[in-house]
Amino acid sequence: MPGLLSKIWMEVRWAVLWFSLGLAAVMALLTALLPRVLGDIHHTFERLPMVRPLITALLGVDPGDRISAELSQAFLWVHPTVLTLIWAHETMYCTRTPAGEIDRGTADFLFCLPVSRWSLYLSETIGWIVSGSVMLLVGFTGHWISSVVFPSDMRLSLSSALMVLSNLSDVYLAVGGFAFLVSSISDRRGRAMGLVFAVLLASFLLNFLAQFTDWARAAAPYLSVMEYYRPAIIIQSGEFPVRDVLSLTGLAAVLWTTGGVVFHRRSICTV
Amino acid sequence: MVPSRCVLLLPVILSESAANMSVVVTNDLCRDYGIRRGIRDVSLSVERGEIFGFLGPNGAGKSTTIRILTGLLRAGSGSARIFDRDCWTDGASIRREIGYVPGDVRLYPWLTTQRALKLLSQVRGRDVLQSGLEFAERFRLEPALLVRQMSRGNRQKLALVLALAHNPLLLVLDEPTSGLDPLMQDTLMLCLRELAAEGHTVLFSSHTLSEVEALCDHVAVIRDGRIVEDATLASLRQQAPRQIVITVAERRTLAGLPWPDGVRVVYQPGAVAGSGETAALQVPAILRDRSCVLELHGSSAAFLSWAAAQHFEDVSISAPSLEALFRNYYQESKAL
Repeated sequence: MPGLLSKIWMEVRWAVLWFSLGLAAVMALLTALLPRVLGDIHHTFERLPMVRPLITALLGVDPGDRISAELSQAFLWVHPTVLTLIWAHETMYCTRTPAGEIDRGTADFLFCLPVSRWSLYLSETIGWIVSGSVMLLVGFTGHWISSVVFPSDMRLSLSSALMVLSNLSDVYLAVGGFAFLVSSISDRRGRAMGLVFAVLLASFLLNFLAQFTDWARAAAPYLSVMEYYRPAIIIQSGEFPVRDVLSLTGLAAVLWTTGGVVFHRRSICTV
Repeated sequence: MVPSRCVLLLPVILSESAANMSVVVTNDLCRDYGIRRGIRDVSLSVERGEIFGFLGPNGAGKSTTIRILTGLLRAGSGSARIFDRDCWTDGASIRREIGYVPGDVRLYPWLTTQRALKLLSQVRGRDVLQSGLEFAERFRLEPALLVRQMSRGNRQKLALVLALAHNPLLLVLDEPTSGLDPLMQDTLMLCLRELAAEGHTVLFSSHTLSEVEALCDHVAVIRDGRIVEDATLASLRQQAPRQIVITVAERRTLAGLPWPDGVRVVYQPGAVAGSGETAALQVPAILRDRSCVLELHGSSAAFLSWAAAQHFEDVSISAPSLEALFRNYYQESKAL
């Protein structure tokens, strides 16, 4: 296991560093700018009525005519740039093995080491969880520093921030579990990444369509991961989203385990 | 009650039986790739200390068989065992004792020889750095050179070093000489002979006939996914034909000549296109319209006395060649 972890470290360290710094910078920037931008959002609502359902879709609740200080903080955690950075990192990471290894032809070297497929899968998982934790913590630090540097009355309490972070971590787990499963059945990394992104995009769009159509509203709890990620409600209620966290953790566990079983049982075919 | 002397002897008997058992055994191994041909009923047995040559043309099923042995592929049916352990279910423990060089060597671009050996030491749980560096020196491989800066030959050498470094009981090599210069090929041959002399086993796949002939004790030929020959090199040598090239004077024709027993005409001028075309390549171009290539099975004495009476311009007879025998196995596939 230490050998496999050092191999993962050699391969992902720069990507994790850059993604983490990028996320920290984006979160710091959004923390500083969002209150000012969203303070005048009611003018935008009047001029562009489509913006309101979009924000409702992102937040999971209708912000009303004016977005409160708390809700503006929630918007930070569902901002498409933040989610795109996190998902891009984990989609890249979780499709490394086996799809990436087969695709670049190094599968013969890696899978012929004297370790079981489960050991390989577990070491990849450890790397994924550690790198995700680093990234989310660095991102959160960016937000925290910015909220200190730019004094505002809209600072989120630490408990609320940690609850949102915990919910976001569960989204991270669910999306990563899905990416591991797709990677396990694929021989082409690009195809695996494309499929994961397509499903995430569809999930995002479904969440948006749920504001307008009944069928999308009915399908969203089953098909949209965003249905279980609602920072606005956490911030407003101050309660830990037990149901959402359990749903996402359960989903992640099922997807990750299925990916592991498939990887353990599949033939590695490169010819 | 078991006598104490028997109890003392038991480990000796067990270790002797372990030493004598076949290292690799496959029985009726099959694997399909849907519409693509895989392998059918492949049965092999590789003994301890043997250099086993696994021959076949491209796409015959050599790599598929090897990938089943290394636990990368799951067999459709049949069994594949190494050290009496199942290659699929006990893959990790088997791979602890084997070294493997794939047919198409791809390594991580950030690896150097030194880094790769350290990584292997961590994964294998024992220090292979020193022995690996000794092999690297034999193969003239720079320890600090990055894979991304290596030529194809150097990457091949690194793969060999990584396969040899832990002194494996079984070495599985899929076309290991590709990309190596002749000197390095000689070094590899030397390494393999040393390993075999120490009782290690080598399974060596190739489609280069001469290197198999030079190195192996036992050969199996696979064609169209099936084993078509499995014999020791000594017994194959007895079946191997001599190749004869006959050149006649200009304006004389070879057509209608009554060939003696044991002779097979491989190429003659004006023959229809077919497998003989490759045999014709052994005849200088300017002589091709008045030369023919024969294969002689059996003694050359009778042929020589017959040829003496024919007044040919030139007759050259080679020593018995396995290459000709192997070519026959390969070329028969075209007729299928």
